[in-house]
Amino acid sequence: MKKFFYKSSALALFAGVLLTSCDPDIDTPASSAGEADFTKYIAIGNSLTAGQGDGGLYREGQINSYPAIMAEQFRTVGGGDFTQPLFTEEQRNGTGYIRLAGFTAQGSPITANVTENLAIRSASPRLYTKYLEPINNLAVPDIKVADIKTAGYGSTQGNPLFERITPDNNASQTYLQRVQESTDHTFFSVWLGNNDVLAYATSGGAFSGGMLNSPARSITPTATFDANYSELLTALTAGGQEGVIATIPDVTAIPFFTTVGPSVQQLMAANNIPGVVALTGSGSSRIQIAPAQINAAQNGVYFLLTSAAYAPLVGQRTGKYWRDLARQVSSSQDPVVVRLTLAGLLANFQVDTTAMFGLSIGNPIPSALVLDATEQQNVRTATETFNNIIKAQADARGLALFDANAYFDSVKTGFGKNGVAYSPAFITGNLFSLDGVHPTPRGYAFVANEMIRAINSKYNANVPAIDETQYRTVLFPVQ
Amino acid sequence: MKSKILALLGSALISGTAMAGGYQVNLAGQRQIGMGHTGTGLLTGTSSIFFNPGAMSQMGYSGVTIGGSALVSRIAYSAPESGGVTARTDNPLGTPFQVYGVYNINEKFSAGLGVYTPFGSTVNWGDEWSGRYGLNQLKLQAIYVQPTVSYAITDKLGIGVGLSYVMGSVNLQRSVPVQSQDGTEGGIELDGGAESAFGFNAGIFFQPTEKFSIGVNYRSKVDLSVEGGDVMFSNIPAAARGNFPDGTTFNAELPMPSTLSVGIGFKPNERLTLAADVSHVGWSAYEKLRFDFSQNVAGSPFSEAGRNYENAFIYRLGGEYMVNDALALRAGAYLDKTPVQDGYLTPETPDSDSRGLSAGIGYSVSENISIDASFLYINKKERTDAADLSGGVPGTFKSVAYIPGIGLNFKF
Repeated sequence: MKKFFYKSSALALFAGVLLTSCDPDIDTPASSAGEADFTKYIAIGNSLTAGQGDGGLYREGQINSYPAIMAEQFRTVGGGDFTQPLFTEEQRNGTGYIRLAGFTAQGSPITANVTENLAIRSASPRLYTKYLEPINNLAVPDIKVADIKTAGYGSTQGNPLFERITPDNNASQTYLQRVQESTDHTFFSVWLGNNDVLAYATSGGAFSGGMLNSPARSITPTATFDANYSELLTALTAGGQEGVIATIPDVTAIPFFTTVGPSVQQLMAANNIPGVVALTGSGSSRIQIAPAQINAAQNGVYFLLTSAAYAPLVGQRTGKYWRDLARQVSSSQDPVVVRLTLAGLLANFQVDTTAMFGLSIGNPIPSALVLDATEQQNVRTATETFNNIIKAQADARGLALFDANAYFDSVKTGFGKNGVAYSPAFITGNLFSLDGVHPTPRGYAFVANEMIRAINSKYNANVPAIDETQYRTVLFPVQ
Repeated sequence: MKSKILALLGSALISGTAMAGGYQVNLAGQRQIGMGHTGTGLLTGTSSIFFNPGAMSQMGYSGVTIGGSALVSRIAYSAPESGGVTARTDNPLGTPFQVYGVYNINEKFSAGLGVYTPFGSTVNWGDEWSGRYGLNQLKLQAIYVQPTVSYAITDKLGIGVGLSYVMGSVNLQRSVPVQSQDGTEGGIELDGGAESAFGFNAGIFFQPTEKFSIGVNYRSKVDLSVEGGDVMFSNIPAAARGNFPDGTTFNAELPMPSTLSVGIGFKPNERLTLAADVSHVGWSAYEKLRFDFSQNVAGSPFSEAGRNYENAFIYRLGGEYMVNDALALRAGAYLDKTPVQDGYLTPETPDSDSRGLSAGIGYSVSENISIDASFLYINKKERTDAADLSGGVPGTFKSVAYIPGIGLNFKF
């Protein structure tokens, strides 16, 4: 009988042990802020930081911006509220954007403009519904490091998305002054400088000098970049704050530059075209482009995503590009003025639109549609120079560095995660949105995780990563 | 940027398809579950049809056993280098069962029929977790029907063999990484019944003395194959539908591995029975998981993922103590070494070395009727794997299972 009691009490003990551990648990290191203080986080940057995608800024993109994702993770380690200048639900489509409408029979994507529920308060000049509450995400699409000390950049004649958040009684406030107003932040991120090279690159270097000279589409002088960037960080670290800053990715890593080229190659091969002629830089000099140069690593040429509408016209006697450009740059839409503008353009670039487009010296492919080897070198040199400045600033000020250049370089060849394939390929690569420049929400989630990784490493923190699969890639029409 | 885009939509899909890991379910008799699932070297009663057909002719009576278990399993997941991304399974209750009938023809011969479920797996991760493109849920089932004969060469030595007729089915669901503007995400479901297959179960049982017994048992490998199973797609946007054609069917094959067991029984006194078993499971038969499709799915006529299981051993210990003529108390433990090599972990069965602890009770209601109840707790070692060779989901997995069971025995 003694034995029986012994046995049954052992069984009872055994059962008790079992019930206390009913659910399996995996021990993970506790989240911590380390040496960083995330109480008030502010984000400085351009369209990437604002959450732009699909060629526009809209509410969904804002909600899924990488700083918003990071702020959500910071909450687990003492982070506070993170307010963004969100478009309202009624004006959720913000600036408007493009969505995928379908595919052609050949499988080329067809996009459509989203034009309802916009936040436009004035069509000309284009202005948006203002947002004047205090905000943590100070990102302004299109802004360059070169712009941060420009008075009037937030006026009705300036950048409409900076104007949107600039107080009415202080319309000439510069971006730097706006940043300087923030003194109580405890942590910041800066991802700025992309447009200081990208605006040149996405316009094929066609507007950097010459008849159509536009400083906005030129590469920022190094001295300006250096001085402005340093001044910005001085403002942000005035109270000894910690932060993370990011480098500028190489343009060759984004689908905007790499998507159209192969179709031009196909077209040339199909029609036995040994080469096409194009304008280079901002003047009337011509270059020859052989098929092998397209997307090549050495002496290569990129056809920009904006060339998708014109590339199929190669071989035709057409002046479509120049007519489109004339309407764009003309001071008035009066047909007579437009016609005069067109004549001026054709004379300046020595273009004969009755010659075969792209095949004749007389009717070259416009410079704005291609980024040739010389222009690429300009972009590469500037990117490297600016990135060295950014890295030196991170070192000198003891800030965390997210080397976005190295990261986007590493994903060029593609990678797989959780059963999904990622690459910079247009649409199918899942990382980039329909404009070919800005990430998808999924892409931004990867960026947030990389930034968190850099922060964790610098500040001995353990901010948890997020599940990137909870953020969408490109959306397809149901039908 | 031409048609390549359409061809690539959702292409990540099948690359990481998988079915099941260590999907053996060792729940073949309630008395034996209580004793750490030992039994190869024991007279286990009617369940000798499974544990060792050689022992069947030694039992000396006819009987029927009906039993079943309620398998509650839970798996936790944590993504690599993050405390933030976690998931848990919501697995439905598994119900492995067993029915055995033995007819004692004469002193030498007995014949029997067993129906049991030695393989299966039910895992449900849902369609929201980070590994959903690898797996939402899997149901794998195999039922063995085994007519068996046993012959007593002497009153100490018996041999037996059964022919296993095997039926099975599989249902696998995963998400497809293609999203529509209405917010839905694509899905794929593979569903099919296996073709009938055959195997055998043979054993020798030897009891040289009252106190000591030994047995050897071999259950052969059975290849289950699905022919013409249904492939169903859901929420695939129009642009990608060409990659996921309706009416697709699939063929696949999955081995139910062989198991060779040696067991001993020892009775130090009238009331106490001790048992130890060692099993060798031929998991190396499971090299890969391949689905062949009747039409290209995501641009490919098949999908294949490496499994490269290794043969593995199971070590078992068990005991039974007769408190009196009616009441038996049992306990046991085992260590089941994982067949899954590093790099091959999958969410289907995120396998690792598993430790089992069991307890059981037996009660004879009358001379002819007895009841067995068992409880088994399985705790698999926490395992972190890159899953880079199986196309699985990298991270850390931890599984536990609670398995109460009950059985009824009738003697004639």
